[in-house]
Amino acid sequence: MKPGTKLKSAACDTEVMVIRCGDGAIECGGAAMGEAKPEAVGTPSADFAAGTLMGKRYVDAAGTFELLCVKPGKGSLSVDGVALQVKDAKPLPASD
Amino acid sequence: MTQVMKGVRVLEVAQFTYVPAAGAILADWGADVIKIEHPVRGDTQRGFLNMGGVTLDPLRHTLFEHPNRGKRSVGIDLSTPEGQEVLYELAKTADVFLTNYLPQVRQKNRFDVEHIRAVNPDIIYARGSALGDKGPERLVGGFDGTCFWSRSGVAYAMTPEALPGPLMQGIPAFGDSIGGMFIAGGISGALLHRERTGEATEVDVSLLSAAWWASGALISQVMETGIQTRNPMPTSGGSLRNPFMGNFRTSDGGTINLCMVSPTGLIRDTFEHVGAPEAADDPRFKDVLSLIENAGAASDILVKAFAQKPFAYWRAHLKTMKGQWAPVQSFSDLLTDEQALANDMIIEVEGADGSGKPLRLVRGPVQFDGKPLETTRAPQASEHTETVLMEMGIEWDKIEQWKASGAIA
Repeated sequence: MKPGTKLKSAACDTEVMVIRCGDGAIECGGAAMGEAKPEAVGTPSADFAAGTLMGKRYVDAAGTFELLCVKPGKGSLSVDGVALQVKDAKPLPASD
Repeated sequence: MTQVMKGVRVLEVAQFTYVPAAGAILADWGADVIKIEHPVRGDTQRGFLNMGGVTLDPLRHTLFEHPNRGKRSVGIDLSTPEGQEVLYELAKTADVFLTNYLPQVRQKNRFDVEHIRAVNPDIIYARGSALGDKGPERLVGGFDGTCFWSRSGVAYAMTPEALPGPLMQGIPAFGDSIGGMFIAGGISGALLHRERTGEATEVDVSLLSAAWWASGALISQVMETGIQTRNPMPTSGGSLRNPFMGNFRTSDGGTINLCMVSPTGLIRDTFEHVGAPEAADDPRFKDVLSLIENAGAASDILVKAFAQKPFAYWRAHLKTMKGQWAPVQSFSDLLTDEQALANDMIIEVEGADGSGKPLRLVRGPVQFDGKPLETTRAPQASEHTETVLMEMGIEWDKIEQWKASGAIA
C-alpha cells in the first residue's frame, strides 16, 4: 500500500488517507478497505462500530500504521482484526 | 458570503487566544490560514480544559474553537532544522506571517523576521506581544489577565474604591479577543499598503497597547486633568446631576440602565414610561436645567417606579421609550435577545465529536454586505499536514523523510 493512498470503507462512509503502513489488511467496520467504493455498502460489525472522527489520526500499537480520517463514518478501524487507537495531541496541562 | 481576504494566505505560528484570534478573524474573512502546531503537543490551548470551574469536552472545546475556527493545522517541530525547512517552504507561499512567540524563541528557532523575509521578502510580519516589541521587557510574555487587565490600569479603574481588592477580568480571553481583532485590522492595513506600494511592513500589537487604546478616553483625561476616576459602587438611582443616568433596581433584583446623556425632549416620555406621568407635569422637572437642579428628587421617583415591576416587564415595556436605556443582561439573556440575534452573531460549525450536534460560536464584530458568516470548525492538531504539503507539490518521499525525522506530524 502506497502512503498517500485514499481508502474507502465497505461498511460505512469512512474514508482514510494512508500515512504510514506495513504488512497487513486495513479494515473498517470489520471489512477490508479498498481504493474503490463497493457498489453495496454493508454495515459495520458490532465489534468495529465505534465510529471514526474527521481529522483524527488512527495508529496501531507498534506505530507501523497511521491512517488519517478524511471522511467520518460509523465503523471503526483495524488492521488484521486488531483495533487502531486515536493518536491524540498531548497538550501541556493548562487551567484557569 | 463576501470573502474580503480570499486569496490571502496567513501562516500562523501562535498559541493560546490573542494572536490565534487574529488568524480566526482573517479566516472568517476568507483567508487561507495555516496554523502551525507542535507535532506531539499541539497548541497549549488544547489542554486548557478547565475554565471558571467548568470542564470542557476536548472534542467540543469552545475555548479552542473561538480563536481557531476556519483554519487548517499543520504539525511542525520548529526546533529542528528540517522543521524550519518545512516552515520556510510554507512561508514562501504566504502573504502574512503571524506569531506570538517571544523574540528569543523566534531567534533560537530561526523564524524571526529576518529568517522569514530571507525566503519571502514580500511577507507581512505580524507580531502580537504582551508588552510591546520595544523596551526593557520586550522579552517578557504575558496573558490578557496580566497585561490587558491588570498592568494597564483597567482593573484599577473598573473597581470601586470601597471594594477590598481589584476585580478580576471575569471573561476568559476578553482582552485577547479584543486585541486579536486589532491585529487583524492592522494586517488588513498592511495588506492594502503592500497592494498599493509593494512595500511589506512589520505589524506590532501588544495586549498592553490594546488596553491603552480601549482606555484611551480616560487615560487622556487623566493626563490632562491629573484626576484618576474609578467606577462607583453599585446603587439604585441616578447620578448626582442627571437623574436619567444610572442603574435602577427592579422588583426582582434585576437592573435597568438609563443613559440619557442629553435629556432634552425626553423628560415627559421617560416619566410616562416608568409609570410616573404626574412627574412630567411637576414644575421641578419642567426642563433639563430644572431636572438637573432637582436631580435627587427625580432619581427618587425613578427608583421607586422601577422597584414596582420585575426585570422582564421593563425589558419589554421600555422598548418604545425614546431615551437611551438597556436591560443589564446576562449572556444567557443575550442569547434570547431578538435584536442581538437578528445580526447573525451566532455561527454554527460541525462539532469534532461527530455527534451531528452543531457547535455554536460567536462571529467577529465586522460583517460584510450583511451576509451571515459561514465557516468550519477548528482543525484537529496536525489534521492537514500531508494535505497542505501535497497541495504545495511536495513529494510523498520528502513528506515521509520529514515524518521519520520527527520534523512533522
